[in-house]
Amino acid sequence: MRTIHAILIAACFGLCGSTTHAAESDLAKQAEAAYASGDHEKALALFDSLNNTHTSSGLLYNIGNCYSKLGDVPHAILFYERSLRLAPGAEDVQANLDLERAKVVDRVNELPGFALASIWDRLQGGSDVDQWARRSLWACALMAVFAGVSIFVRQRMAKRGLIALAAIALLVTVISMALAAYRVEQVRNTGEAIIMQPKVDVLSEPRDGASAAFVLHQGTKVQVLKRQGDWQEVKIPSGAVGWLPGTACETI
Amino acid sequence: MEQQQKQQKDQEKNKDQDKDKQQQQQDQKDKDQQNKDQQDKQKDQQNKDQQDKQDKDQQDKDQQDKTPQDPSQADKDKQANEQPQPKDRIDPQDAKRMLDAPSNRKKRAGRGAAQTAAEARYTERKGLVMETMKRILNLAVAFVIASAPVLAQEVSFRATVDRNEISVGDGVRFTLELSNAPSGRLTTPDWGGMVVAQGPSTSNSFSNMNGSISRSSTTVWVLTATSPGDYTIGPSTASIGGGSLRTDPIKIHVSKGEAGSGSNPQMDQAQKKDPNLFCTISLSKSKAYVGEQVIATYTLFSRYNTLQADDYDLPKLSGFWAEEVDLGDANWEPGQRTINGLAYRVAILKKQVLIPLRSGQLRIDPMTLNYRVNPGFFSSGTAVKIQSNASSLNVVDLPANKPADFMGAVGDLRLEMDAPAVEVNANEAIDLTIRFSGRANLKLIDAPKLNLPGDFESYDPKIDDKITVNGAGMSGSRTFQYLLIPRHEGNYDIGALTFSYFDPTSGTYKQLKSPPMHFDVKPGAPNSNATVGAVVKTDVKPLANDIRYIRTGDLQLRRTGSFLFGSWPYVLGIGLPPLLLLLLFAWYRKREKRLGDATGMRRRGADKVAKQRLALAKTALDAGDRSAFNDALGKALEGYAADKFNLGVAEVNPDVLRDKLADMDGGKTAEEYIALIATAEMARFSPADNKPRQQTYEEAAALIARIEQHVRA
Repeated sequence: MRTIHAILIAACFGLCGSTTHAAESDLAKQAEAAYASGDHEKALALFDSLNNTHTSSGLLYNIGNCYSKLGDVPHAILFYERSLRLAPGAEDVQANLDLERAKVVDRVNELPGFALASIWDRLQGGSDVDQWARRSLWACALMAVFAGVSIFVRQRMAKRGLIALAAIALLVTVISMALAAYRVEQVRNTGEAIIMQPKVDVLSEPRDGASAAFVLHQGTKVQVLKRQGDWQEVKIPSGAVGWLPGTACETI
Repeated sequence: MEQQQKQQKDQEKNKDQDKDKQQQQQDQKDKDQQNKDQQDKQKDQQNKDQQDKQDKDQQDKDQQDKTPQDPSQADKDKQANEQPQPKDRIDPQDAKRMLDAPSNRKKRAGRGAAQTAAEARYTERKGLVMETMKRILNLAVAFVIASAPVLAQEVSFRATVDRNEISVGDGVRFTLELSNAPSGRLTTPDWGGMVVAQGPSTSNSFSNMNGSISRSSTTVWVLTATSPGDYTIGPSTASIGGGSLRTDPIKIHVSKGEAGSGSNPQMDQAQKKDPNLFCTISLSKSKAYVGEQVIATYTLFSRYNTLQADDYDLPKLSGFWAEEVDLGDANWEPGQRTINGLAYRVAILKKQVLIPLRSGQLRIDPMTLNYRVNPGFFSSGTAVKIQSNASSLNVVDLPANKPADFMGAVGDLRLEMDAPAVEVNANEAIDLTIRFSGRANLKLIDAPKLNLPGDFESYDPKIDDKITVNGAGMSGSRTFQYLLIPRHEGNYDIGALTFSYFDPTSGTYKQLKSPPMHFDVKPGAPNSNATVGAVVKTDVKPLANDIRYIRTGDLQLRRTGSFLFGSWPYVLGIGLPPLLLLLLFAWYRKREKRLGDATGMRRRGADKVAKQRLALAKTALDAGDRSAFNDALGKALEGYAADKFNLGVAEVNPDVLRDKLADMDGGKTAEEYIALIATAEMARFSPADNKPRQQTYEEAAALIARIEQHVRA
């Protein structure tokens, strides 16, 4: 038992190694001060330098805010989307993203969110990507503890109870693992992109000079279906599909 | 817009005509008075007759003024007025007529113009009187000279100039004066390279002062030079009787003309087309920003004595906002202007402030004017159609970095924001005044957007313009009056108002900023129209649609791309507990085995062994083997008890059983068990069964099952 605990605690501290160091938090403070004083360019530069090595929903949101203040709509949308990816359903991010989306020229009908979307978002673990992974660890450990204790218990009822608890813990472990896997997959997913150029022709073939299928404007979100060389096949919610040069959009 | 302008013009024209009439009546009175005075002085019947005749002329002329477009009337006047005129002399009458014609048509002449006309008439009138007098005097003096010897005055012959330093294009007046000599022959001097712009014109005068009679004859030329340098006007000789008199040569220095005077390419070109009558359009600058003010001047140059405007065609302006400049009484410019050696009368027909509305090369089409030249009594004059030059303006766009609060104002502006009181009661109006003043396209300034607190009601501002348009452009002030009503008490700030305009002289945008205003709103008077009784609930109105603030504090930063799921610690953390559990379990089993707990093994096996033996008994029962059945049943019962309670087979006796099973049904099970063992023992050795075998077997099986259940629980 003691060994298990020790190992679990060690594992947790191993994770905590990735929490903010003093240098980073100092940088974040400077950026905050710059933003507060209205120097959005400086704030952006500082947040960006932080973003080279670190990430978090909050950081991406702040970068999105800087871009928004500087009037760069596509970049603001890009970073809000990235922030939402790390923290689905974050209210402030969603609010600002909606404001920025209002400035996008293309009217693209986003799929209406289903009624339980917010519950689903909350279930996914808010801003903490590792939440379910951590939960699965704890559940797994509990399962082992319950099962281990049950071995030594002679009383029939107590033994059965412990074995039932161990079974529940095992179930929780499996579900948590599934959710954790889903989140990681979702965060790593690069299947969506934001158009970065003010106006871009979406071509019917992946070569220069091909006829234009339709036109998109900056800030519009597209789904990336395929990558071929420097070209990406994209799809918009209306179902139209076409090819874009890689420089025209940036994956979320 | 053009139509509107025309309408406006017509209205003004009517007004001006009315004014003219009034003015003329007044003038007439003045003139009559003047005439009377002169008549009194003259006391000459002949003179008086002539005067009357002239009065008549004057009336005719006045009539003609009222109907300036009537050429036949003008002709009559001309006929009646039989004054011999030197060719180049400017006839003030003509000047007036010509001046009136365009002015009436183009509503240029205001009250002032009429006044000028009146003055001109007056001087002209005086001139006529003097002329007549002089002629009469001439006759008289000639008579006197012929009849009686007079005190002879000294004979002199002089050449003078009004100035000897001029610039190119200017005129210099050269006068030869011969005094107290009978008319002699004068030689025209050598002009030394200068050009005669006008002249010669000769006039004679007599004077009789206390019996001393003097006589002089004056010849005047106007000279000009086309290039700078030093010129010398040679001597002139006058032959009087047998001898001759000589004047001294005169030196004239001609400097390079200052910019603006003299001629320019537009004028040269126009002059080439028709050197006697031409018209130009000139712009104050050739390159301007969108919205910058440019002054367009339409100028008429004429060498004709009489000129009558027929009609005109104003140039079409596209891409401009045009404002007419009120020219007031300025019409024929006083004096003459010399262009390339020719003297012209100059009139500014029209002046406009043009504000270009778009960039590019904006063209101003030529203006066409139809004039009649030298109309006579029997002829309607020669029709002359002149066309001015076309002009174009290079309009450049404003620089691209337009500030957000730039709304098209170009020029030089100042901003004032003012409110009469900063302490008001709720529901009382505040008059907020915002004034833009300076030289700019003021009429194009829209109401600025105020940065009002949410609890203020505001109404559309009232616009008050004090804008003057003159030759220097549009200037003055535009005032916006806002009516604000604070609905609730409290301290309110009206944010600083910023307004950007473009300064064309520096080519940059400049921002005006009014200081923020603070209003202290006191609770409304109890009888004020609102907030009587219950508080009126209002919705919270979102004022600005700005993004939310950044997240501060701990941003929960993680290394990019590091996830707990799938990482080594995670695999370790998820794999280790089950592994440990398995190890634990294995260890537990192994230990149990090593301890060799026979008792435990036997006890756990007791049930199994008993069941096996019962199964044997059952087989024997079915086969009808009585002894085998009894043997098996007995062994099953005894063996089970021995295994279960860890006893030797011999140790199984009623006492031990009673002791071990004492807690079961208060010893009843024990007794049943003992009885059943006894039954099985007896059946082994007695030939007859005192109980049926089947029943005995079932009882034994049930009893073992009951004991097994009890022991486990």
